[in-house]
Amino acid sequence: MRPILLQGHERSLTQIKYNKDGDLLFSTAKDHVVCAWYSVNGERVGTYKGHVGALWTVDVDPATTLLATGSADNTIRIWDVRTGKQLKMWEFPTAVKRVEFSEDGTLLLAVTEQRMGHLGTVVVFPITVDLEAEQVDEPNFTITFRESKATVAAWSYLNKYIITGHEDGRVSQYDGKTGELIRDVQAHELDMQITDIQMAPDRTYFITCSKDKTAKILDVNELKVMKTYVTDTPLNTAALTPKKDFVILGGGQEARDVTTTSQRQGKFEARFYHKIFEDEIGRVKGHFGPLNTIAVHPQGVGYASGGEDGYVRVHHFDKPYFDFAYEVEKMKG
Amino acid sequence: MPDIASSRANWADDEEFDDPSVLPPQQVINNPDGTKTVVTYRFNDNGKKVKTTRKIRTTIVKEHVNPRVAERKEWAKFGAEKGHSRGPDLSTTSVGENIIFRPSTNWKSTSKEDNTEENKLKDQLKDKKVACRICRGDHFTARCPFKDTLPPLDDAAAPAAEESPAADGPGAIGGSGGGSYVAPHLRGKKGAGESMSGTGGSYKDRDDLATLRVTNVSEFAEESDLREMFERFGRVTRVFLAKDRDTGRAKGFAFISYVDRSDAAKACERMDGFGYGHLILRVEFAKRS
Repeated sequence: MRPILLQGHERSLTQIKYNKDGDLLFSTAKDHVVCAWYSVNGERVGTYKGHVGALWTVDVDPATTLLATGSADNTIRIWDVRTGKQLKMWEFPTAVKRVEFSEDGTLLLAVTEQRMGHLGTVVVFPITVDLEAEQVDEPNFTITFRESKATVAAWSYLNKYIITGHEDGRVSQYDGKTGELIRDVQAHELDMQITDIQMAPDRTYFITCSKDKTAKILDVNELKVMKTYVTDTPLNTAALTPKKDFVILGGGQEARDVTTTSQRQGKFEARFYHKIFEDEIGRVKGHFGPLNTIAVHPQGVGYASGGEDGYVRVHHFDKPYFDFAYEVEKMKG
Repeated sequence: MPDIASSRANWADDEEFDDPSVLPPQQVINNPDGTKTVVTYRFNDNGKKVKTTRKIRTTIVKEHVNPRVAERKEWAKFGAEKGHSRGPDLSTTSVGENIIFRPSTNWKSTSKEDNTEENKLKDQLKDKKVACRICRGDHFTARCPFKDTLPPLDDAAAPAAEESPAADGPGAIGGSGGGSYVAPHLRGKKGAGESMSGTGGSYKDRDDLATLRVTNVSEFAEESDLREMFERFGRVTRVFLAKDRDTGRAKGFAFISYVDRSDAAKACERMDGFGYGHLILRVEFAKRS
């Protein structure tokens, strides 16, 4: 497995995303550019320029026509994926930490930061998946968090629920149409921030990870914790792999402690766990800073990781990865 | 007969008068197994003719992709990449080192084995007390700050212990008191020369096993450089670089002693033929002389 190193950013990566076909990869970092890459050879297709603050998040609609980015310059921008032209901008009083298109691309949710007297919110915008169309200015609805702010959010299947992960370790379920709170679970340790949430391909369950050094799989209906993966380092990101039943976790000690610990102790590896058996099955080294974000190719043939070190490493799995199976799995086959 | 002679080129015309500055044309041979052999000629930097033979197998890999993906492959570049040609740009894209990733249920134990392998030497050294032969400090003798000013403790102690038996020898031969000078070759069996070779012998016994002789060393070499190069393979106890007394330049050979013979063997294997300075090192085990 020979990783491809992408050096398009000058600062630490914040999020990377594959498009639905898996041929394009989008990356955002704390510098002000968004990069688009061909995932197969690591060639940069282009950049999206316009943001004037650190970028926190990126997402692409299922048809790969529109790209949404959220930034610390308090805006969400919609771009034409193909040309890099900015199509729309929404302004907020605070930074935007997370954006995500719904399964069908007709809705966009965004998590805004709690700061300067403004409470954290989740806003939902209707999207017209057309380059010519004018996007609406006002959101469908806004969810405001009076207690603990949301750090991450994702759509469930059929846009039925919005799942949010909170700063205090809670996971909440909101109605996708009205924004009403339905359920609330203390999934992770109290006051340990949830750092990532990624949906399974069918959006019936999702994986969360937290600074409490664990990652958990919960189902979207009941918010029941189904699997727990215990590690020895605070986690920044967790991803589910299609095709093989694995999860990939990434983390490392806090960015501010990096210079005071050696790379060896830093635990800057992507950790692979078996999704069902919860065992750690391997690690992939490479980054020399904590991993901030991991994205898995939608067909499960590879993954990409972005680190605090400013590099994106794109991996294409080779044969041993696909061959690996537990004895019981082999017997079944 | 005559037509055979005319069909064949005159031996005198052939080759002999070929212009040496002209390169023979490229040859392409289609092999029966489907490969192609391409023979090309070129001049290298020294003006010498170089023949390159390449065997090429062409395989056509067909891949079916979604038409949307195929369409996206044709996209013109935009933003910071605008106007750039197709293909990865080396300034933004590079290929990393190969990573061997084999998922396994017991990867932890296998990775621990690697660790133990690595830590073995450390553990060995941890139990071992390092004591300087000169000042008894906990460093290697070679690193002793008193290396040049004090004699080794062993040597200082040895003559003192051997003084009384040694006194008999010279006394018997010289016929005078123990204090007078006796030439080394006149001394008894326990004389200084013997004792020197004795201690030296034990020294050699210990060291020679793990000592490498490095020859063809650049005359601008420094001991520290050598130490740095050879310390990669294990704990180096001694680096000796022969230097010319007048010019202070290296004479072209050096000795490197290791704690462990296996390290020395490894270093010998790896460093033999290593390019250092402008020369290629020759490394072998030192022979006892």
